Amino acid sequence: MKSLWVFHVNTGACNGCDIEILDVLTPYYDIERLGVKLVPTPRHAHALLVTGPLTRQAYHAAKMAYEAMPPKPRIVIAVGTCACSGGIFHDSYALRREYRESLEYPLKGGTSEFLPVHLYIPGCPPRPEEILYGVALLKNIVEKKVRGRRFSEGTFVLPRESFNAWVEVLLRARIRKELGYFDGYSLLRRFMELVESSESKEELEKLVEKTINDEGDSRLRYGLEKLYSYYLEVVRTYEGILAAKRALVGLPK
Amino acid sequence: MTKAYPFEPEEAPPEYRGIPRIDPVLCIGCGACANACPPNAILRIDDPENGTRRIVLDVGRCIRCARCEEVCPTGAVRLTAEFEAATDDRSDHVEVVELRLARCRGCGKYTCYTERQVEKVLSLIPRGILDFDRVREKLPLCSECKLKLTVLNATKFGEVEP
Repeated sequence: MKSLWVFHVNTGACNGCDIEILDVLTPYYDIERLGVKLVPTPRHAHALLVTGPLTRQAYHAAKMAYEAMPPKPRIVIAVGTCACSGGIFHDSYALRREYRESLEYPLKGGTSEFLPVHLYIPGCPPRPEEILYGVALLKNIVEKKVRGRRFSEGTFVLPRESFNAWVEVLLRARIRKELGYFDGYSLLRRFMELVESSESKEELEKLVEKTINDEGDSRLRYGLEKLYSYYLEVVRTYEGILAAKRALVGLPK
Repeated sequence: MTKAYPFEPEEAPPEYRGIPRIDPVLCIGCGACANACPPNAILRIDDPENGTRRIVLDVGRCIRCARCEEVCPTGAVRLTAEFEAATDDRSDHVEVVELRLARCRGCGKYTCYTERQVEKVLSLIPRGILDFDRVREKLPLCSECKLKLTVLNATKFGEVEP
């Protein structure tokens, strides 16, 4: 197929995907290079560009649009997570969907409830590049990159030893409150590497000071200082409990 | 200038939230991600007869909110920078990790947690504070055996040890 004329149907989307489709038409992304043109009536269209999780109200209009298209090629493209599988609205009372077991996969819902879909473009909303990629995939310009994957149990790695693993669990909750998960967890991973590489307390102190001085980001510097003080607190508590227990049982040191 | 994208490769920005991937080496199958996922894109499916648990991630329903990355205790689920997930077949979006369930010490049935979860929990016990061997003895127990053990221990209350 040389060029694809598309008709856009919104079946109850939040307009995020529609705005991305609008983006794709701008000169910066320019989907018209690939021959795609947005047409105002389904009678001129080769493809139906569906966004949204298919509400009951929109179902009839979408069906009318599909039936008004010329019988060949009648391609349906589902844009966005909602159109692919129901997305965040998969459980909504307003959707048109069949009853089915909830533990089957791939998960059902969205456009495929009433139309045979030729191309799924997931994303919430999909990037403009992702829509471009999908259309290029339909025209055989690029290759498919995702594949279904299945793993059965093989090797298993526990990243930390027993005491460090316990400390990491305690520090995780605190650094998440200070910095959030995105910066906090990666910073914690760096800090635990420092803890594991150092052998004595003095060496750890020097290493942490050096890292704090080398760090350019003031938020991460603050996080490292906090982590180090929390770490000292945890170690002090642990040693206190051990000493108390030894005194109680009467064991020698 | 128009982007040359589908004809030239494109990298997402470094903090971009792309499609999530499960690392099968780190995953313990606890199902924290399945509990946290707002659109139920991750399922936890137990099969107590064959003794397996499947963690199923469906990229086609994922909204890239990164809640799974936030709650994962081992850092197994990570959002990658990949974004090219368009496909004509929905089964390409599915990622399955299959893990073994632990066997109960008392009755030999399968419990409701995996062997890896037991290992992870045992690795978290700081030595010296808790009696490690006693915890290790009790750990893979199904809920019925745990109940019996609790009742048995409760009846011992007040007995004087010689």
